[in-house]
This record gives sequence, structure tokens and C-alpha cells, in this order.
Amino acid sequence: MHTDVLEVDGLCKSFGGVKALRDLSFTIRQNEVLGLIGPNGSGKSTTVNMLSGAMPPTSGQLRLGGVRVEGLNQWDRVAMGLTRTYQTASVFPEFTVREHVMLGCEARRTVSPVAHAFRLRRNRAEDRQMQERVDQALELTGLTGDRDTIVGVLSAAQQRFLMIATALASSPRVILLDEPAAGMISHERETLAGMIGRIRDAGISVLVIEHHMALIMEVCDRIVVLNFGAPIAQGTPAEIRGNRAVIDAYLGEAV
Amino acid sequence: MKFKTLLMLAALVLFLALPQLITVKYYLHLCILALIWVIMAQGQNLIQGYTGYVSIVQAGFMGIGAYSSALMGSHFGLPVGMTIILAPLVTAVFALVAGYPSLRVKGHYFAIVTLAFNMVIFIVLLNFTHLTNGEAGISGIHKPGYGRGAMIDFYDRQVYYYFVLAIAVLMTTLAAVIVRSRIGQILLAIRQNEDLVASVGVAAWRYKLFAFVISAMFAGLAGALYAHYQSFINPEIFGVAQSMDAILAVIIGGSGTLTGPVIGAFFVVFLPEYLRFADSFRLILYGLILVLATIFMPRGIVGLARDLGTRFGGRK
Repeated sequence: MHTDVLEVDGLCKSFGGVKALRDLSFTIRQNEVLGLIGPNGSGKSTTVNMLSGAMPPTSGQLRLGGVRVEGLNQWDRVAMGLTRTYQTASVFPEFTVREHVMLGCEARRTVSPVAHAFRLRRNRAEDRQMQERVDQALELTGLTGDRDTIVGVLSAAQQRFLMIATALASSPRVILLDEPAAGMISHERETLAGMIGRIRDAGISVLVIEHHMALIMEVCDRIVVLNFGAPIAQGTPAEIRGNRAVIDAYLGEAV
Repeated sequence: MKFKTLLMLAALVLFLALPQLITVKYYLHLCILALIWVIMAQGQNLIQGYTGYVSIVQAGFMGIGAYSSALMGSHFGLPVGMTIILAPLVTAVFALVAGYPSLRVKGHYFAIVTLAFNMVIFIVLLNFTHLTNGEAGISGIHKPGYGRGAMIDFYDRQVYYYFVLAIAVLMTTLAAVIVRSRIGQILLAIRQNEDLVASVGVAAWRYKLFAFVISAMFAGLAGALYAHYQSFINPEIFGVAQSMDAILAVIIGGSGTLTGPVIGAFFVVFLPEYLRFADSFRLILYGLILVLATIFMPRGIVGLARDLGTRFGGRK
């Protein structure tokens, strides 16, 4: 079947006269961590917003497992296995951690919430299955001990892990991480790096946008580099590190 | 938890015994109105308290329920019991039509759109005289069991009290089932962070529309019960001012709680009555109490009681 899980083909985005993204193409393969890097304003977040469905592309195609998805709603894409997290911690602060992650399961439910509320259909098996999925997501993100904690009192890093756990609860094929390490201190970044590795090992492909180069070089199998809305390089971390254009545009000499 | 159950049972016993305890007939009348308002407020709470969307059309929907139930009875000769059941369905159709476009806008804009919708309902009730008899209203609306030599005499105030009480309990239970289900979780999620709901994989608009339509159905039912209780309706009580009362009932009682709307409903029905002594200062006093209540009890009476409970009893 498709080993390319997500195919991005000729993606463009214009805001009025500003071309935020020009002809971006790349693929994310099964069990792969792909990094998307570039200076501020190079179009990274715009790319994630278009992949997740938060923003329509001006032109270009997106295929998830071979199926075109660029016309679909955000929630439909989640149901198909394409999910994301945000650059700033975006959570439901009043829920407990468990309730929060449970909401991530909604996209995969087969029993409608109305039927569920009035117990019109038997759904114990599904409930149990979702509960297990939540437990797994908590385990993978190290939040098991905080399952009954109110989300609002978690630390910023924990809220970021919670976003990942909630995304994982929807059983994604691809998870898009928008600057997951922003504001994290070194040991939290290490935890995150381990987490990304385990997510990949669980058979989920990861696209990660990040400014922290050590993290990117550590976790990524391949990297795509953007500059002024256009791709300037693709390759393994070693190739990117040695790429002249990338060094000039973004990395600088010191790395 | 056990304490809560005990409290609920006590409240239920109190409600059941109330007609025996009340000596002044007028207070029983007010209690019936308050119970009808409990249904209104429970509906308002679903959209306002749980979903976080302040809707200013609850009284308008009450009007649709009241007029549709009365008119279905007088025009098609349907039995009152049936028109009371049909009234919320008619209201739901209107809410669906109104809600679909208005829920595309968020926050304050939604409030304004619903406010406009309430005004439209009011104007239609006032000017579509052919059907609604305009300002003069509709009188002589029958009570349930009319003309069938019914076993239960709904013209007896006590009987109507228990009838409305049963429905109010039923609707509060329905609200409880909804808010404690997955739907309730999604509504709460919308209130906290609507943009995130979509990226978690949930089509928020469906749930917003659901909450809006259900809240309208509560109001429609309340309107039907009101019409058949008073035997007379005119557009006056279905205006924006009454929609504000529904909002206040939720805020004063405690929004996003199930007990809040019950307390709030009795509050908005009884408070103006108790302020009658102040005569022309009544409305000023009413306004003042509301302002002070919102400032000093932002989470309503239920929120205040919970705080006090935690402080003195160590109970959550």
C-alpha cells in the first residue's frame, strides 16, 4: 500500500498580494519524523494550518493515505487520522486531564453522542476501548499520575504534553506538532524528544516544526527547510547541516 | 455526594408539600409561574451556562410555544395535551431556522443576532393580527383535559401546580442527562476553547445548534404551559425584557449548574413581587439588587453556597 502517509503537492498560499507559501511539496512516510524548519515568517505555521484544515490553501493538493483531503473540514481530517497541536498551549482549562484526553476520542466514536446520552445503543465495548486508548495516550505522554488533575493547574510543559496526548487519543496516522518545545527547559525537551520517538515507534508519522535545532537534529529522520515561503532544501539531518543554502538562510555557521 | 442527594430529596419533599404550606392563593400562583420559569431557565442554562453562548431570545421562543399551542387548539381542535407536546417541536423548527445562520457568528455577535430575532418574533406577534389577534392577545385558552369530562381537574390551581412540577422535574432531569453525557462535555469544551474543539475532531457547530434548539424547546414547552395556565396570552410578556430575565435567572442562580436555574427562576418571579412595597422605586431597587448580585456573586447563589460549604464544611 502507500508508504507515503501524507503527500503534499504544490501547496501555495497567498494573503492578498503576499505569497506566504510557494509550491511546497513533500511527503511524510510511515513511521517517520519529518522536521519542518526555517526562519520566522517562512511559512511553517501556514503550512500546518493548511494541512490541518484550519486554513484553505490557495492551490495545491493534500493526500492522506492516497485520499485527497484539501477540501475537508478540520474535524473530518481528524477522523481520517490527521491531527495537530498548537504553538501556544491551547487547552480546555476546566477539565481534568482524563476528560481532556477523552475528548480526543470523539472523532473515532461510532455511537452518536445523542444515542450515547440516552443509552439507546449498547456501547460498553466502545467505552472500554476508548478508556484504554486514553490510558495509553496518558502513559505515552507521562501524564498517568496527573489523570485527575485540573488542566488549568498543569505546568506549561505538561499542557503541551496534554495536547499531544489528546491528539494521540484520536488514533492518528499523522500528528502535526507546531513548535512543541517552545518555552520548555532542557529536561522537558529531553522528555519531549523521547516522546516523539515513542510516537513514531507506535506507527504514527510525525511532522514537527521547531526552532530548537538540537531537538530537530536529534528526533528527525528527514528535514524540509523553508525560506520566504519557498522550500530551499530537503534531506537527512546530516545533509541539512552541511547544506550551504540552509546555513546562509537559517542555521548560521555555529551549528 | 450523599449530602447532595439528601438535599435534593429534601427539596423535592418541600416542593410536594408546598401547596399545603401556602395559605395565600396568590403565592401558589407565583409558584406555578416560577416552576414554568424553571423550565425556561434550564433551557437557557444549556446554551448560556454550559455552551457559553448568551442567547437573548428565550422569551421569544416561549412566545412561539405559547401561541402555537393555543392556536393549534383553537384552529385544529387538537386536545390540549397534544398541543403542549407539539409546541416545543414547532419552536424547534423556528430555532433551527434561526440558529443555523446565527451560530456562525461568535460571542457578542451571537447575542445581538438572537436579540434581533426576539424583536422580530415580538413584532410578528404584535402585527400579524389575523392569526395572533395583536396586542389584544388570545383569551379563553383551554386547560388540559378540557371538554372530555376529565378525571383530573386542571382548573384547580393545586392540580396545575403538581402538573407543572412534574414537568419541571422531568425537564431538569433531561437537562442533567444531557450535561452529564458526552454532549455535555463537548458543550463545556466549546465554552472553554471553541477553536480547539474543531482541531480535536469535533464539529462544534452541530453541538451549538443542538444546544440552541434544545434550549428553545424548553422555552416552547414553558410557553405552552404558561398559555394554558393563564388562559390568556398577549405579546407583552414575550419581549426582550423577559429574555433578559431568563439570562438573569441563570446568572443569579449559578450558570453551568443544574440547581442554579431552579433557584434563579424563583428569584426572578418572586423578587419583583416582594419589591412591590417600594412602589415606584421597585424597578430601581430590582436593578440595584441585580447589579450587586452580579458583582458580589459572579457564580450565582449556587457558587456562593459551594464556597461557603467548602469554607465551613470542608466539602467540595
